[in-house]
Amino acid sequence: MSDVKSIRSYLKIFKQLGGLIVPLSLVILVGTAILLQPSFLSINNVQDILTQAAPLALVVLGQAFVILVRGLDLSVASLMASAAVLATAFNAASDAMIPVIFLVTIVASAGVGLINGLLVAKRNVSPFLATLAMMIVLQGIRFYYTQGAPSGSLPEGFRVLGAGRLAGIPVNMLVFFFFFCILGWLLHKSSFGRKIYITGGNPKSANLVGINADRVTITCYVICSVMAGIAGLFLVGFVGTVDNWVGRSYEIDAVVACVLGGIMLTGGKGTLWGAATGALILILIFNIVIILGLPVQAQLIIKGIIIIFVAGLFSRSTQH
Amino acid sequence: MAYSKSRYLVRRFQLDPSLIIVILLLSIVVISGFVLSDRFGTTRNFMNVLEQSSGLGFASIGQAMVVIVGGIDLSIGAVVTASTIFMAAVVDLHPGLMIPMIFGTLLFGAMIGFCNGYLTIKTGVHPLVVTLGTASILNGSVLIYTLQPTGGVPYWFEEFAYGRIWNVPISGLVMLSCFALTWLFLRYFQAGRAFYAVGESPEAARLSGIQSSRVILLAYSASGFFAALAGVYFVSRTGVGDPRIGDPITLASITPVILGGLILGGGKGNVLGVLLGVILISLLGNLLNYMNISTFIQWVIQGVIIIIAVSVYVDKGEKL
Repeated sequence: MSDVKSIRSYLKIFKQLGGLIVPLSLVILVGTAILLQPSFLSINNVQDILTQAAPLALVVLGQAFVILVRGLDLSVASLMASAAVLATAFNAASDAMIPVIFLVTIVASAGVGLINGLLVAKRNVSPFLATLAMMIVLQGIRFYYTQGAPSGSLPEGFRVLGAGRLAGIPVNMLVFFFFFCILGWLLHKSSFGRKIYITGGNPKSANLVGINADRVTITCYVICSVMAGIAGLFLVGFVGTVDNWVGRSYEIDAVVACVLGGIMLTGGKGTLWGAATGALILILIFNIVIILGLPVQAQLIIKGIIIIFVAGLFSRSTQH
Repeated sequence: MAYSKSRYLVRRFQLDPSLIIVILLLSIVVISGFVLSDRFGTTRNFMNVLEQSSGLGFASIGQAMVVIVGGIDLSIGAVVTASTIFMAAVVDLHPGLMIPMIFGTLLFGAMIGFCNGYLTIKTGVHPLVVTLGTASILNGSVLIYTLQPTGGVPYWFEEFAYGRIWNVPISGLVMLSCFALTWLFLRYFQAGRAFYAVGESPEAARLSGIQSSRVILLAYSASGFFAALAGVYFVSRTGVGDPRIGDPITLASITPVILGGLILGGGKGNVLGVLLGVILISLLGNLLNYMNISTFIQWVIQGVIIIIAVSVYVDKGEKL
């Protein structure tokens, strides 16, 4: 009995901490990492972690928008790989082509997001199925185009974008920060952001107060797909080679990061700040697994345990 | 006239209107099969397709039961994988345990399903997140144990997958009887009817005296059980435990469920529709193979079919 009581009191502490769970777990993780490996905070390692985290964090920013309007986007990983394959299709050598590649990718990704959004908002298809189907379709088109083995090359500049550093700060982290500011302003400061929260809270009442809920939902899907497309280009710059599975499992990781960061799958609750922290937490966990000298596969097990545990904690602390 | 006639058909055969599309697609595939290929319309070919579709069939029954109670099971593929490894590894060490291990593996799957259900109920976390977590844990454990196909079973065990009784594959017969039993259970048993009540509204079901949590536990355990049965089938087919064999099964098991007219969110649908969905997917793959169409294009077609199916059905307001 006393066990149950002590668990209850722990839960109570968590409830009181509320919004502090995310930053607190971040501090605990960093603390553990430093204890395990004193060189954890060395500039090199921090730079490495940030470089690894940036592509995932870019995807998470978009995924957060979709989850906030009660959606889910499972097509992001497939879209990332498709963007990478699309980039090699230019077979460009000069860095002057980079803006063109980005522009084409963004337009194509926006198209994908538009289809996802239309299916979900206008046809009332469940987001899970709409984006699942989109994932399979993109995968099929990509493999058919590459016939299983991608060829073609990327301009040298991609390497700089994906893995380069500017005054010691990873370039892709700077790009992430740029998007974080823009999207953060959009979500938390602009009137459109309020519309997103209202739509996510209750689409019907959003319609009643004169918000075009369908349009808000579709916009969120477009934002998510565009972010995924951009993240794909940065990830391929980081990895250095294109294959058909660039970004594999990022769709799951992005959802997990959002959940870890306190964004509710039921929509309408959570912050972009939380989502970004969630991405960082996930990458830190992966990093700690490596520091501990565990096999890479242990990342999967630990990820699974953390998903269930943290999601349970959040649903408990908000339910009552 | 045509309208009233179709209404009559719907009422006369208690045909779920949502089944019309899968029947329509099935007839298109069968007719074009007869027209386009002279090898398609043979008993031999149909029996082969029945034999090959069994694995997908088993997995889909479990998925269907979980979807009817309003959940979703993304750990099916991981359970399939884990049970192939579990069975092949143990039988390899103790060949005498072949028969008990069949039941042991099924029990193993049911237990994992039970854990999924228990966590869903106790934590209040979305089943999507819970089953994703258990899938991650299972996959990680399997991959730590082995990275390549391992273990083995006695040669005679391939009879389960390849054996024939009066020219009908045994695995196909087992699959058909599983579908029939599940259909009978869900339609004529009180506990089965409760599945639909819980899927429609767990709260209303609880108020009318149904123990919702038991029904949900039963559904997830059944899902794990059938996933393990699919695993047993794959062991029989390949003779080994394969750490990657279940990967495509999770999402593949959702397609027939959706085609069969079940709705994510629960409370509706007929498992016989799911059987039609399994047959449709298998015959379509078979036909496209005869037509020498690349697997990659087959993916695109599969995705488009999901989109067509879900945008024709009117989805329930509640989304996943």
